[in-house]
Amino acid sequence: MIRANAEELIRKSIARFVDREIIPRAQEIDNKKEFPIEILKQIAEMGVFGIRYPKEKGGAGGNTTLYCIICEELARGLMSVAAITAMQCLMGTNFLFHFGTDQMRQTYFYPAMRGEKFSCFCLTEPEAGSDLGAVSTSAKKTEDGYMVNGLKTWVTNGPIADFFTVLCQTNPAKKFRGLNFFFIPRDTPGVSVSQPFETLGTVTTKMSEVAFSNVHIPEDYRLGQEGQGLDNLMTILAEIRSMTAALAIGLQRAALADSIRYAQEREAFGRPIGKYQLIQAKVANMATQLEASRLMTYRATRMIDQGIPCMTEASMAKYFATEAACTAADECTRIFGAYGYSMEYNAQRYYRDSRFLLNGGGTHEILQTNIARWAGL
Amino acid sequence: MDIIVLVKQVPNTTDVKLDEKTGSLIREGLESILNPDDRHALEAAVQLKEATKGHVTVVSMGPPQAIEVLTEAIGMGVDQGILLSDTAFAGADTWATSSTLGKAIQQIGKFDLIICGRQAIDGDTAQIGPQVADYLHVPQVTYVAEIDNIDEKSVIVKRRLEDGYEMVESELPALLTVISEINKPRYPDVGKMIAACHEDASIKTWNAADIGVTVHEVGLAGSLTHVIKTYVPKFKRQGEIIEGDTKAVVRELIQKLGRSEGSTACKAVAAACRLEAS
Repeated sequence: MIRANAEELIRKSIARFVDREIIPRAQEIDNKKEFPIEILKQIAEMGVFGIRYPKEKGGAGGNTTLYCIICEELARGLMSVAAITAMQCLMGTNFLFHFGTDQMRQTYFYPAMRGEKFSCFCLTEPEAGSDLGAVSTSAKKTEDGYMVNGLKTWVTNGPIADFFTVLCQTNPAKKFRGLNFFFIPRDTPGVSVSQPFETLGTVTTKMSEVAFSNVHIPEDYRLGQEGQGLDNLMTILAEIRSMTAALAIGLQRAALADSIRYAQEREAFGRPIGKYQLIQAKVANMATQLEASRLMTYRATRMIDQGIPCMTEASMAKYFATEAACTAADECTRIFGAYGYSMEYNAQRYYRDSRFLLNGGGTHEILQTNIARWAGL
Repeated sequence: MDIIVLVKQVPNTTDVKLDEKTGSLIREGLESILNPDDRHALEAAVQLKEATKGHVTVVSMGPPQAIEVLTEAIGMGVDQGILLSDTAFAGADTWATSSTLGKAIQQIGKFDLIICGRQAIDGDTAQIGPQVADYLHVPQVTYVAEIDNIDEKSVIVKRRLEDGYEMVESELPALLTVISEINKPRYPDVGKMIAACHEDASIKTWNAADIGVTVHEVGLAGSLTHVIKTYVPKFKRQGEIIEGDTKAVVRELIQKLGRSEGSTACKAVAAACRLEAS
């Protein structure tokens, strides 16, 4: 029986979309700093937002590897689009899908799969990021549900999201065991969203603070068993880190391709700068780090798909691929010389967008600490 | 309404390179894609399916990897795919290809409409659609830019001419070949493509026996024409862009025209220019 390879086919199909619909408009979208709704609608029409969810439950029937292939290809075109898509496919909808009621899924999850509603994930607080034990947004039990109070920050999609998945503390005495995720629609009384932040990169991905002031929600808006918030987060953390690594691979590919093209075109002292060994060394290092990033990232995604624990592998992949993306973007601006400093070329965008990858899924300082511990230190 | 779409997997280039020794297409390093015009044929079929609650079957003849374009077609909304793949089909000219596709269509059975892309970007013959129509004895309309109206018995289409358009009505069943202005093809749905990659997918593979032909009727053996030699034409004249200061460019152009080989007209122009300049 002859069958096509789904990974190759999906990559090819998304790459075609990126080449035709995103890359020609990427610079314009970035300059305008507008939420790229038209492109996201097209991505929704391709069924991408449901890539991780089972077909029989309204998804596309894919897996983590396919999800990361799509994120990588989109990031090759424009990091903001990839970041919003990554959020919609995973962190923004995962717990709603697994723990929401049928009514919640009908009203929010399926419209999100169709690109009619947007989601986001509220984890970080002004005083709590990687240190989840410090989360202070509270969800106090009431007779018929919970009362939520607190402030979340660096909420990707915050300004445009229709619903939030919010990490709250229900019992500070229990610390990590008191953490729970809650589903909160944007139009719930007491929810307020700040103006979008001015950011260095991914300028069309809107980020903001989200404040909850005496927000009353019913009991079934708690996503998962009481006290299981951290455990539930751990079920997707390796996937979040692999996805971030895939985004970094996409950016590396874009920076490398532009660098090669420019090194072949730009002449100095009578020949293309790509003929000089110092430029060749930059390109060789970028290509090698890209290949290593691919091997590490897709090893982790395949382990996730096989149900094999891989927090170490995924963390290493995120750390390595993101550092490689930052280096690739930096080298790209150097190969472009003064034009790398110009807002007319993509090199500056790669440089700015690469910084977006550093914090999501764990800062590299935290990841290195964990990796050293796992290594036996 | 039952619609059949014929598609081809082609190398992703319009700059085809040939191996001078074998005369065959150099495919190394070239990505294979769904032929661009065929994508418009698929979109037209799926739009008709959505409007008429019809059923669309996509057929392709090619090597096993051509399964990719059928899977992509399923992703666009086609209901089932049939890949005609057999070593006996290899080396077919357009007539053998058309008759093989025609046989497969007869095997499929009832159809109201066949839609093809105008031509493939590798061979550029634009012969398959018309020859399949001829084989099946159904009317054909080529260069279709718009399907204006369709019902159970007939179709009215807008057909592009060199200097305009004409409206053509045809009874059904019929065959249309479409051009790119007919629509903007949708991007395939990832979920449908994933499903089409599974064992129980709605794509079948048929060989020569499955469509009831002998190896002598298809492929190279069944071809009426045989390619004796393939070569890349040598261009005798090549354009050159001269850049720089206008006066310097004109001076250089006159010199080049004067030096140009065996062309009296060029030399005359150059001489006239010198006369004018002096």
